[in-house]
Amino acid sequence: MRKRVPLILLALMLGISAMPIKAQSVGDFQMDETHLYAMTKQMGQFIRRFNYEEDQFGNKLNPKDPSYRNRQKRQQSLAILFDQQTYGSQPDLQRFFIEDVTSGDSTFMTFLGGRWYSEVSATFKYKGKPVSVIMILGVEKEGLGSKWVLNNIYFSEFNKLFPTGELTEREKHFLHPMSHELDFMNIYKIFKEPEVIEYYASKSFEPDYRTLFFYEIKRGNLVFQNVDTVKFHVFQIKDWYFEVSWFNRSGNNAGWLISNLIYLPEKDKKDLIKFYEP
Amino acid sequence: MKKILALLAIVLFVGGTAMAQEEIDFERKQAIDSLALEKVRDLSKYIKIVGSKETAWSEANRVIDRAEELFMTNAEIGVSSLHSTKIKYYKVRPYFEHLMRLNYDRVEIEWYNIEYVSDLQRQPDGTYVGVITIFQTFRGYDKEGNLAYKDTTKKDITVYVKRKETQIGGRMIGFWDVLLGDMRVKETANK
Amino acid sequence: MKHKITTVIMILLAAFITLGGTTSCKSKKRLAREAAEAEYKARVAEATKDLTAILDDETMWTLEEKENRVQTIKDWNLQNAEVDDLLFQVEKKLARERAQAEQKAEEERKAAEEAAKAKLPKNMLETNLGKIAAAGGTTQANNLINETLQLFESNNVPVLIIISQAGGFNDYDRPTTIENYLNYVKDQKVSRNRVANLKFNENGKITEVELIKK
Repeated sequence: MRKRVPLILLALMLGISAMPIKAQSVGDFQMDETHLYAMTKQMGQFIRRFNYEEDQFGNKLNPKDPSYRNRQKRQQSLAILFDQQTYGSQPDLQRFFIEDVTSGDSTFMTFLGGRWYSEVSATFKYKGKPVSVIMILGVEKEGLGSKWVLNNIYFSEFNKLFPTGELTEREKHFLHPMSHELDFMNIYKIFKEPEVIEYYASKSFEPDYRTLFFYEIKRGNLVFQNVDTVKFHVFQIKDWYFEVSWFNRSGNNAGWLISNLIYLPEKDKKDLIKFYEP
Repeated sequence: MKKILALLAIVLFVGGTAMAQEEIDFERKQAIDSLALEKVRDLSKYIKIVGSKETAWSEANRVIDRAEELFMTNAEIGVSSLHSTKIKYYKVRPYFEHLMRLNYDRVEIEWYNIEYVSDLQRQPDGTYVGVITIFQTFRGYDKEGNLAYKDTTKKDITVYVKRKETQIGGRMIGFWDVLLGDMRVKETANK
Repeated sequence: MKHKITTVIMILLAAFITLGGTTSCKSKKRLAREAAEAEYKARVAEATKDLTAILDDETMWTLEEKENRVQTIKDWNLQNAEVDDLLFQVEKKLARERAQAEQKAEEERKAAEEAAKAKLPKNMLETNLGKIAAAGGTTQANNLINETLQLFESNNVPVLIIISQAGGFNDYDRPTTIENYLNYVKDQKVSRNRVANLKFNENGKITEVELIKK
């Protein structure tokens, strides 16, 4: 049976039992706004709720206000940031996470704090056929402010071009050290196997998918159609990784919510972050 | 002379940097938020006037002019529905003209009270940018008075805020210039 | 015998009366002179005291009371050097005070006049803003707008809207003109601001408007 603890926390947080439902009358219709207040409407609101920098109605708190970042209120606020359909059945994980991020050296999330990324899944036409491309963006400081920048691209067609390959197979492909004495007459062979040509690059070679992406865009082979989905990957919080997705549904558990949560010690983050910030 | 110029350069640089890093205090931020919200409410009013079948064509056009003045040039409105993530893009005037031409006998456009104002982030050029989220219900009725169409949309409206100065009555006046930018219109599952 | 005594008594009585009368007449004069001297001295002392007090601002008298007091002392015509010197100083001081009082009165009168003048257009403007917002239709609203514009030097009079006074200075919205602002109120059907400040030209027409959130 799904435990109802988080929903009770939600109810308490919204003060539903203590306060009248937020509603307005329009003509013959009574519009209940409670669910709209509950919805985490912007990623910015997710961050503010994560830190408890606003009240349950979205009113910003003055940093001088004693409620600002108040630990207890923050714990209640964090509880409503989970997708309950996934995490409703994992109250212990939720509790552990909440306790951990609101412990003595509290971890707050900040817009310019780095190590959080957007994953934008979009439809393009590649040589006339619809394809899905994932763009990874990060926030970069520049001038007086900041901007979103393209960090990486995932496109299956690009990845197919650069398979990892077995080491034993890679070791078979090389230009011997005396090739120069024969004017590199043997170099023509490497072009006969274009599928493994990158084996002849230096050790440090790593394909840069952004360059390929920009190249294909410039050549007109890849044409943007529309954005399909957006989600966020957050590595900023000490020892945790979580993913935030948009949940478009009715009820009091909608909007930008944690769709994936993993306890990830800092030393284990480095390799994962490489994909988001190569 | 060189020393004076160098000193002046330092003073200007420091002064400029100080201004660039200017942190706006909470009460002023609240006032700027209210100002931005007011522009969004103005827009909502104009949408309601233009969408209403009772508004005369000439009046609607005049109001569209007013609505356009709220926006930056090249601002766009991106609309999608529940059934498709594909966004249809409109410039401001065509969006309002499309609203005017909707084929219903009677239209009701109402806004929920809730208005969510994001923090203002700075762009590289120093302009502050934020997003205000509001919710609207739209109901379209046919000739017989039956409800032909209903939706609830979430509208995320970009606001640009820039500190400017102008001369009024022989003195310099500093003001906050607020302009609306792109608006994202997304249908929600709430009915 | 009886007759002689009576005569003697009569003569004695006459003498007594005569002599006695002569003696009281002399005393009266002396008394009068002494009284006058005493009075003079008292007046000099009083005049000196009062004039010194006026010079040193040690009285609670109004300017008019001081001027009256000085006039009274002058009317005494004491011809006393010290008093005359004090009178001279006090009259100079009171003349200065009188000039200052008159200037202040004039300023107050002008301020009251300005306030009365300003109050009228301010009231009218605020009332009309409310009326424009509540207007039943475009024609009514436009008529009100035209009526309101008569208060102004021109249709382009600048309108400044204060959005905040935090930090001890004014933060403004983008400045607009009075014509644009009135039309904005008509379109929005709401009057969110009240008049904070008005500036006028010499013809009493408004040349600048400062509004603030209600």
